[in-house]
Amino acid sequence: MPRKSKPATRAPLLPLPLVERLLSAAMSRGAEFAEVYVERNTSTAAMLDEGAIKSAQSGSVTGIGVRAIRGAQVGYAYSDDLDEPALLRTAQTAALIADGDREPGPVNMSRTPLPTYYQVRTPLASVDVTRKIELLQQADAAARAHDKRIKQVMGGYADQTREILVANTLGHLAEDRQDLCRLSVQCVAFGKKGERRTGFYGGGGRVDFRFFEDFSPAQIGKEAARQAIATLGAVPAPAGPQTVVLAPGWSGILLHEAVGHGLEADFIRKGTSLFAGKLGEKVASELVTVIDDGTVAGGRGSINVDDEGNPGERKVLIENGVLKGYLYDHLNAKLTGQRSTGSGRRQSFRHAPLPRMTNTYLAPGDRTPEEIIGGVAKGLYCRQFGGGQVDISNGNFVFEISEAYLIEKGEITKPVKGAMLIGVGPEALKNVTAVGSDAAHDPGLGTCGKDGQAVPVGVGLPTVRIDNVTVGGTGA
Amino acid sequence: MRPLPMPAGGARGERIETVNLLDACEHLVKLARKAGASEAEAYAERTRDASVRVRDGEVEELQQASSKGIGLRVITGQRLGFSYGTDLSKEGLKKIAETAVALAKGAAKDEANGLPRGRELGAAEPGEYDPAIEEISPEWKLQAAREAEKAARGADPRVRKFDSTGAGDFLSHSAIFSSHGARGEARASYAYVYCSPVAEADGQLQTASWSDTRRKLATLQRPEEVGRIAAQRAARMLGARKAKTQRVPVVFDPQMAASFIAGLSAAVNGLLVHKKSSFLGAQLGKRIASEGVTVVDDATLPHGIGTRPFDGEGVVSRRTAVIEDGVLTSFLYDATTARKADAASTSSASRAWSSLPSIGTSNLYLERGALKPEDIVKGVKNGLYVTAMLGRGADVVTGDYSRGANGIWIENGELTYPVQEVTVSGNLLEMLRGIDAVGDDLDFRASTVAPTIRFSELVVSGA
Repeated sequence: MPRKSKPATRAPLLPLPLVERLLSAAMSRGAEFAEVYVERNTSTAAMLDEGAIKSAQSGSVTGIGVRAIRGAQVGYAYSDDLDEPALLRTAQTAALIADGDREPGPVNMSRTPLPTYYQVRTPLASVDVTRKIELLQQADAAARAHDKRIKQVMGGYADQTREILVANTLGHLAEDRQDLCRLSVQCVAFGKKGERRTGFYGGGGRVDFRFFEDFSPAQIGKEAARQAIATLGAVPAPAGPQTVVLAPGWSGILLHEAVGHGLEADFIRKGTSLFAGKLGEKVASELVTVIDDGTVAGGRGSINVDDEGNPGERKVLIENGVLKGYLYDHLNAKLTGQRSTGSGRRQSFRHAPLPRMTNTYLAPGDRTPEEIIGGVAKGLYCRQFGGGQVDISNGNFVFEISEAYLIEKGEITKPVKGAMLIGVGPEALKNVTAVGSDAAHDPGLGTCGKDGQAVPVGVGLPTVRIDNVTVGGTGA
Repeated sequence: MRPLPMPAGGARGERIETVNLLDACEHLVKLARKAGASEAEAYAERTRDASVRVRDGEVEELQQASSKGIGLRVITGQRLGFSYGTDLSKEGLKKIAETAVALAKGAAKDEANGLPRGRELGAAEPGEYDPAIEEISPEWKLQAAREAEKAARGADPRVRKFDSTGAGDFLSHSAIFSSHGARGEARASYAYVYCSPVAEADGQLQTASWSDTRRKLATLQRPEEVGRIAAQRAARMLGARKAKTQRVPVVFDPQMAASFIAGLSAAVNGLLVHKKSSFLGAQLGKRIASEGVTVVDDATLPHGIGTRPFDGEGVVSRRTAVIEDGVLTSFLYDATTARKADAASTSSASRAWSSLPSIGTSNLYLERGALKPEDIVKGVKNGLYVTAMLGRGADVVTGDYSRGANGIWIENGELTYPVQEVTVSGNLLEMLRGIDAVGDDLDFRASTVAPTIRFSELVVSGA
């Protein structure tokens, strides 16, 4: 029963008797499991360019996705027409994966009690758009004030208030409101002889709008400007194998690409990941402990409940270099005799869930960043990062370094440009030779793509030294 | 294998409705004008998406759905607002109109804001719509996917695992209406088959994928062929190792050449150019690439995947040569950016109902050359043939280029051993000037395509 005292007891996204009828319809041809996912997503965005607010936009999308499973076979259908006949047709289409006829029994649903990992008092959708626009203006002003050579500033603010309801024939019923926001700034610095360098920074998460009182737009604008200016005059990155030191935070994308995707249970079940069948084996240096944690307070990848109705969890994936576990969604857990780790996520009601990461980070070590950098005679210090990508079969991963410097005799010296790191997941992690005590999460900007589905994620890493990493660049 | 039953709601699945979109757009524009917009434009789209995925010859996932949405752009006092939604009821549209008009008040005045009008508007040939794709049955897709999977297994004994194999169809119907004369509808149909096998030997896994998408069912590549090519691409990578760091000639196969061209297309985006943030911004009219390099964006191409009668704001489709025989001849503009840059729209507005128009490409291609791809490889004494890449690569603001690469090493004009875990890097302007061979193997199998190309020298970074 819903608790009376909370305003959260407003009507569910879809009347529960109708949800039950849809589950029955999805089971009507003999499926073993059916699920109804209802989503209402209200989003707002504003864009600043050339010193002015170019546009403000807002919209709302509501729809349902119905899934029926028989064995390893999945039927999926979705609809944004919300009248009952259309919804029943959707459920019947999903049901077609099974080929029998049967009288589905009644479904008795009970709500899963959920903790909350996001402290969002006011839904972001209810915050006046003028306040969102002000953030952009402050960030723009701070970026331009940082240095005269900052000639272009592009700012973006985006938020969403995503309400979901998941119900299935196991009787689970879960509802959650997942607010998410992000403010980001890109700067272009104009140097001599047509040189252009860019900087990018931002922040956000599943946070109250007041987040930006502490993590100020001015600070975001200034940091983006700093990066662009700092890399003016950079020389081409040296090509070939080197020792690299990664600055803390967003560098956690290393884990996301080098190991995270390869531990997702769909690839494991199909045997297409190089980490399949390696449970209990040493896959990384002893210094490496990797955690995927959907319960980080306010984290961009945090979830009270996943998109299949299972609670978000903290999972140790690699402990002191030994592979401990994979990331399971409902289907892949069921088919391999495991339990879901609360990793079933989807972009929207138009997509069937997949096993995905939430916030993935490396546990801190005991070295100071100064010690780590000071110990490198010749190498590369990577301070800011772009995106990355991985091929989960051969384990090849890349990630872009947007701000990097040479390390010479333990000192950070000249900026270099156009660097990219490439490696093979387990080999790179075996070459981790120092882990800092300065654990840090990224500021809340990451979006992960898989099979055409984008979901928000977080990453984290303390300062880390990796030996013998191939650096792509054009320099000698 | 049992036959698949028909989806609910019609003989061949739910028909894509064609009646209401334009009316909904017109109504929404009326509501926006009533709410105070001086200019208003609505864009709506309905899609039907149906696909089958197989594993070991059995259905793994059967998906079918249709969805719709509408977006509204308003301009009031030179300020821009935008809203969208999926509720096309009277109340739903009213809310969209009011939201868009209210949001415009927060945006800055910009005299470049304005909808296209007059002679710019209109419709060219609509592009292919194949009713046969409406009628594709689930059994047909299942059969196609099974054939692709079976052919992949048959092509190489080391192919035993699959990431996924499937087939599907996609139909779209869109409509646009504006207060300033835009009015039109467009339909598109697509059928596709794809296969992503994984080859395994000596503890190494290598994956590759191959797919084919066409607007006309009869021209779709045979599923067996899709599976066979995918398997061969995966199997030939087995045993891949790092190469040494060196400067060598590098050949991109047609898929990788297409992704190079796609990355480059951002550099001719009129907005980036206007903001002096493209490495090609100051090069208009100048030679930027070797002779024989011609890059065209053509929304009117017969059979093109990206062919359309008009762009995302109703401007009549056209062909734009971006690079002609090595000389940079045009940037790409939508109506707003064109006004800002004192240029004309090149009909390059891309559109989805949930977002504002932005500059994009339609059918973007590198014109074919005269050389056989084998001869391009033959001309390399020591170099890399690239068949797969990781990362985004081209940074058109700075002109830097660096991507992870997989491929085959070339020795004395022959493809030899497979290579992985290397990057290829260069400077985009130097790369363009360094294209010294263009193949004749151009196939319009995607919206951005290119034939095999060779760069005279790039940095390959590895061991």
